[in-house]
Amino acid sequence: MQKVGVIGTGNFGLALANLLSINREVLIHARREEIAEKINTTREHKGQVISEKVVAISDFEEITRECKLIFPIVPSSNFKEMLVQLRPFLTPEHILIHGTKGLHIESDINVVEELQRHEVLTMSELILKETSVVRVGCIAGPNLAKELSDKQVGGTVVASRYNDVITEGKKALHSSIFRVYGSNEVMGVEIASVLKNYIAIAAGMLEGLGYGDNSKALLITRGMAEMIFFGKAFGADEKAFMGLAGIGDLMATCNSKLSRNFRVGYFLAQGKKPEEILADLNEVAEGIKTIKVVHLLRHYKFNSPLADALHKVIYEDWDIEKGLSYVMNLPVRDDTDFFNTNA
Amino acid sequence: MSSRKSIEKPLPSVVENIEEWPIYVTYKNKEEFLNKVKKHVLQHSSWLNKEPDTLRNELKKILYQEKIRLTKTPWKSDDPKEKLFWSGIKKQIRNQKPIENRGDTQEVDEAILNEILDYYTDKMVANFKPSTFKFTQKALPFVYSRLINSFPRILSKIFSSVDKLYDRMKITGDIDHIRKLQEMGTVVIVPTHYSNLDSPTIGLSLNNLGLSAFTYGAGINLFTIKTLSKFMHNLGAYKVDRRRKHRLYIETLKAYSTVALTENVNSLFYPGGSRSKTGKLEEKLKLGLLGTVIDAQRINLVENGGKKIFIIPVTLNYHYVLEAKKLIESHLKNMGKENYLEDENTNSFGLIKRTYKVITSNPGMTVSFAPAMDVFGNRVDENGESFCKIGNKVEVADYFKLNGEIERNVQRDSQYTQILGERILEEFRENTVVLSSNLVAFVAFQIIRKRFSQFSVFEILSLPKDETTISELEFKNVMERIKDRLIKLDKEHKILLSEDIDLNPQELMTAGIQKVGSSHPKYVLKNKKGEISTQSMKLLYYYHNKLTGYGLEEYV
Repeated sequence: MQKVGVIGTGNFGLALANLLSINREVLIHARREEIAEKINTTREHKGQVISEKVVAISDFEEITRECKLIFPIVPSSNFKEMLVQLRPFLTPEHILIHGTKGLHIESDINVVEELQRHEVLTMSELILKETSVVRVGCIAGPNLAKELSDKQVGGTVVASRYNDVITEGKKALHSSIFRVYGSNEVMGVEIASVLKNYIAIAAGMLEGLGYGDNSKALLITRGMAEMIFFGKAFGADEKAFMGLAGIGDLMATCNSKLSRNFRVGYFLAQGKKPEEILADLNEVAEGIKTIKVVHLLRHYKFNSPLADALHKVIYEDWDIEKGLSYVMNLPVRDDTDFFNTNA
Repeated sequence: MSSRKSIEKPLPSVVENIEEWPIYVTYKNKEEFLNKVKKHVLQHSSWLNKEPDTLRNELKKILYQEKIRLTKTPWKSDDPKEKLFWSGIKKQIRNQKPIENRGDTQEVDEAILNEILDYYTDKMVANFKPSTFKFTQKALPFVYSRLINSFPRILSKIFSSVDKLYDRMKITGDIDHIRKLQEMGTVVIVPTHYSNLDSPTIGLSLNNLGLSAFTYGAGINLFTIKTLSKFMHNLGAYKVDRRRKHRLYIETLKAYSTVALTENVNSLFYPGGSRSKTGKLEEKLKLGLLGTVIDAQRINLVENGGKKIFIIPVTLNYHYVLEAKKLIESHLKNMGKENYLEDENTNSFGLIKRTYKVITSNPGMTVSFAPAMDVFGNRVDENGESFCKIGNKVEVADYFKLNGEIERNVQRDSQYTQILGERILEEFRENTVVLSSNLVAFVAFQIIRKRFSQFSVFEILSLPKDETTISELEFKNVMERIKDRLIKLDKEHKILLSEDIDLNPQELMTAGIQKVGSSHPKYVLKNKKGEISTQSMKLLYYYHNKLTGYGLEEYV
């Protein structure tokens, strides 16, 4: 049986490689040769024990030659650079299922005053734009890397326009500890997995301020509504938001101190500055960037009170309590307004 | 990669001997061809056998739908013996009622299915007669060129008229490349569709390119006059009955197209389905028949040594569309509703008469061939090799492979068809030729629209004449801005400009106004003492629509 590839040796990439190794032999690509060597010799990286069936390499040509099914798990900020190096070796026979919960922005978000739709690409859109690969999918869901690496039972969704991508993803990943569901709603799944990051920041803030479960449930429910509003403006179907990548991932990340984004919110509420927190985390918290992106897209007139409030807190120096009060004093809409056609 | 040029005179056939043309070989062995079509339908008919009684239920559905069609929408072109055929089928179904076990009529049902398939394919199949083709080949340019020139001129200069043909009918594209691809594989032409004149125009253009004849589906409503019907039949037209919507018929039609393609027969589809009712470039395609190119390419990889299928979008660009008024009125009337324009009244004689009228008064047209692509929308080079959008060489086989094997997968292929459809639309946009008439119509309508920016399209279309008059000065100012933008788009390869556009503002305006919809009873645009006006806002809207979708509005 053919080997499966993983690109990226972050927490999620490593955990995914371990899960894949239950069914297949796995090649994992590390940017730096010494990391590949470390994985192969010590069988340990970033606190995770690495399966014997996982071999680390640092050669893009080799991974594309050995594996036709590849999971790129690289932060959105490095994704394009990775694709540019990988693409000379990719062909339309390859299937790429990415697990990156972020957006690629074609402009500098620190300079522009607003973004146009065509400047904002999901990772699958970026793959289609930058490579000759057509069979693209994404993997998303409540997949906190730490729990995955502890071999706790869990599940995920593989979304693609192509049923054979979903089937191949399932065959490679489904096991007695990990259930893999399928969906054709790629855009919805990608948007959900991106937007939940900033909802998790808000959840962390509530926790940091000492609020309880009622408050968090309100946040999660209205957070999902906000994700749907945005998704619809992007052309996504609302269905995906009700699944593992939407409500599933929201429940996990908004309740877990393992979530980077949650921790960002939590520390902000404790009075730390964003720069300080990000430096301490030493990891990417996609939610911070997403808040800015949503802010720059607001001219598309979707309803995004949480992103607006978070932007004020993180980028305009508002006090968190003031941000919360801003959201709480907005006019109240219908409970399930996200089902409305024109919502 | 591409080098566009215009044809000055008809080119010799790429394959000289007609009897070597795949269309001739295929239709000569009709029985073998139809057997392959039927086999293809049955091979992929798992939908007919999902449950033990699915086939029986499907047969009943077919019978019911055929009965409804015969009684509710009978056409003159219908075969008078058809009622008898379906009565026979009905009897057979009735006589074989399931008695005890479900599915105990399977054998009989399969025989009935085969009978229906025989009937469909027999009605559908085209023919190709070299004598008819040669006659058309000789006669059409003469007829066409005589028609295309004005009448008195024809009478005085009958024999010089062929030479003048190319003054009125421009055929442009990377002609050498297309001819070369014909030697390497199967060519599929996908044109835009504005008018009933499209088929003779494209037929003549393809002949002038020297390509082997094309097979194409034609609505059965076009087969009402016996002589013309026979003529079309013998030129490779297979019959399509758009009233038949049940799956077996659709699958048979698709199988027909797929097998013809795998037999290397050049094919033509109008991917827009029917004529554009708004005058706009196609915005959405009907992907049914188009999808057969993907399946045929896969079959070619497995069975025919990988012979490649090349897709060439073509845009037809007219100054004048005779049916414009009927089309736009039908569109406006049906806006917001399902608006299929019933074509039954378009009998063949009417078509000839109307085509004749269009051509006699036509100030010209441009047929623009886009660069060739493979069935996935990748550009192909002179050797027929595919290159994806980022310039990497790609193998078409790779698109069909899963775990190293080429596989049939209908769901995957439907996604590929969408990709191809999007690429065709892109090529349509980029290979549209801006004629002076398109430009002036766009300018005039947009000036009026801006003047009444708070009005809906309907309100604008009913404005009184004095509200829609434009001064020459205002007109030229806007025209220059739009022209500048168009030149930029042309440089970015996002549109093509006709030679007219190079004229100085005065000449350009005059030429455009003179040519736009030149033979409608009501004038589309007129310049009287520096005041530009229209007698038909609807027609102006129709001709203006051609240039929408390029973001030109903001330069008005």
